[in-house]
Amino acid sequence: MNLRQFTLNRKLAMLAVALGTLALLAQPHRGPFVKLDARELASVVEEEVDHVTASELATWIVEGRADYRLLDLRTAEGYAAYHIPTAENVPLTGLADYPLLRNEKLVLYSEGGIHSAQAWMLLRAQGYEAVYMVLGGLDAWKDEVLFPSLPADADAAARAQFERATQVAKFFGGEARVAGGAAPPTVGAELPKLAAPPPMPAPATPIAKKKKKEGC
Amino acid sequence: MMTPLYKYGFFGEEFSLLVAFVLGLGFGFFLERAGFGSARKLAAQFYLYDMSVFKVMFTAIVTGMLGVTYLGWIGWLDLDLVYLVPTFLGPQIVGGLVLGVGFVVGGYCPGTSVAALATGRIDALVYALGIFTGTFAYAEVYPSIKDLVNANPMGQVTLPEVFGLPWGLVVFAVVVIAVVGFWGATKIELWAGSRP
Amino acid sequence: MNPRPGSPYLNPYLAGIGLGLVLLAAFVIMGRGLGASGAFSSTLSWLVDLVAPAHAQANEYMSEYLGDGSTHPLKAWLVFEVVGVAAGALLSGILAGRAHLAIEKGPRVSTAVRLLCAFLGGGLMAFGAHLARGCTSGQALTGGALLNLGSWAFMLMVFVGGYAAAWFFRWQWR
Repeated sequence: MNLRQFTLNRKLAMLAVALGTLALLAQPHRGPFVKLDARELASVVEEEVDHVTASELATWIVEGRADYRLLDLRTAEGYAAYHIPTAENVPLTGLADYPLLRNEKLVLYSEGGIHSAQAWMLLRAQGYEAVYMVLGGLDAWKDEVLFPSLPADADAAARAQFERATQVAKFFGGEARVAGGAAPPTVGAELPKLAAPPPMPAPATPIAKKKKKEGC
Repeated sequence: MMTPLYKYGFFGEEFSLLVAFVLGLGFGFFLERAGFGSARKLAAQFYLYDMSVFKVMFTAIVTGMLGVTYLGWIGWLDLDLVYLVPTFLGPQIVGGLVLGVGFVVGGYCPGTSVAALATGRIDALVYALGIFTGTFAYAEVYPSIKDLVNANPMGQVTLPEVFGLPWGLVVFAVVVIAVVGFWGATKIELWAGSRP
Repeated sequence: MNPRPGSPYLNPYLAGIGLGLVLLAAFVIMGRGLGASGAFSSTLSWLVDLVAPAHAQANEYMSEYLGDGSTHPLKAWLVFEVVGVAAGALLSGILAGRAHLAIEKGPRVSTAVRLLCAFLGGGLMAFGAHLARGCTSGQALTGGALLNLGSWAFMLMVFVGGYAAAWFFRWQWR
């Protein structure tokens, strides 16, 4: 077949039909499948750059930092009963469809740490780079931030830190435990009510008021 | 492959604005190349003697469509991360009708009006002023028509999903329809041009 | 009033491929397509905010384009893109000798009527575009390539609406 005899338009048409026919076999959507770089993930875990502590998170919230998104991976009921201020509720199963930008910094927490560890793995596998778990989850939040305690034999540095922790606890509606006092409360009843949110200097931009970014 | 680049954090918002400008350059360049800086050429589509709007638009659609299909297939583009405007069937059908009428009355669409006014078409400038006025009017009445505007929300849905067909099959169908359409359009142009 | 003809236009299929490649570049680089009507919304919201800020910020539609005030409403992707469209079109027009002040109209209509129709057409178009969440650039081109249901429905209706109205406005173009 001598291609010269066809005009440009005819050639374009033939090219289009050829490409269109080959496309019959195409499956362009990744779907739910992901690729895992096992070695890379293992080294991230080992270097311990995969998590933040509850105290660190508390400091960020107090400072009014808005460069990350805090995700609560529990059910809606758990979230409604109590959640860390500025957290968004995203149950584990809804994570894949939740609108998150790949370049956003994500901080995850669950009750303890199992679900957040699993979600961390899933998100990393989907290409999110800046994902961090709250070490110890909500349990650690209660223990370190809301109801900090001071061991009886604490030194001066520890006492100073405890003073700070007490202030932070007040900020979040909790209170410091008396040295060597009762075990931390475990039920929701003692957790600070969310009715009066703590006054935050510069609240993280609520999604609703963000400027319209996509779309035409 | 880590694309779309922006969604994988290769650059931030400031740079994306530069990207926007450069993409716009290409967009405007080809719009004008095709002659879409001229209202007469654009309107001619609806009088059948110049079907360029149809030809250019569908060629662009087919090119883009084949592009994302192949790039997605070989894993060079994460198609799930490309933004899809959510479907609101009723408003979009009505909006399309209104836009079609506006096209014939005004002679442009928003993108081509910018291309035309950049090349000195005063009617395109007036048209753009009309867009501003219309947008203002829309913004004012928006609260009262909000329910109508958000009717039939179907989320982000594609033709293959709606018809339960494989993506590749729909792509093939679109290509065939386009090629047949182009052949037919050329025939129509000849017929319309030969009439008095 | 009509402009002198410049160079002949590019083969529509080649122009379409060019446009399609720009669109594809947008998908691959930004993860979004092209658009135009949103730039008008941003600009209008900014203008209204300049003269009547309370009104603009209270308006449900405009406040979406103004955001929370942390970034300038004109620092929007579409605004920069549309400025690029103007620049690109100007470049092409200059190269082809098609850039000069002119008014596009048919032989039977006066300039004044043509300009009035342009204004009304623009207003109508704005309504249509905002209802549909996009115009031919954003919906038809972008959504068309992505096989978006709403976009294809929209595109079909644009042609229906245009052909239906063509008869009634033929005095403007022929």
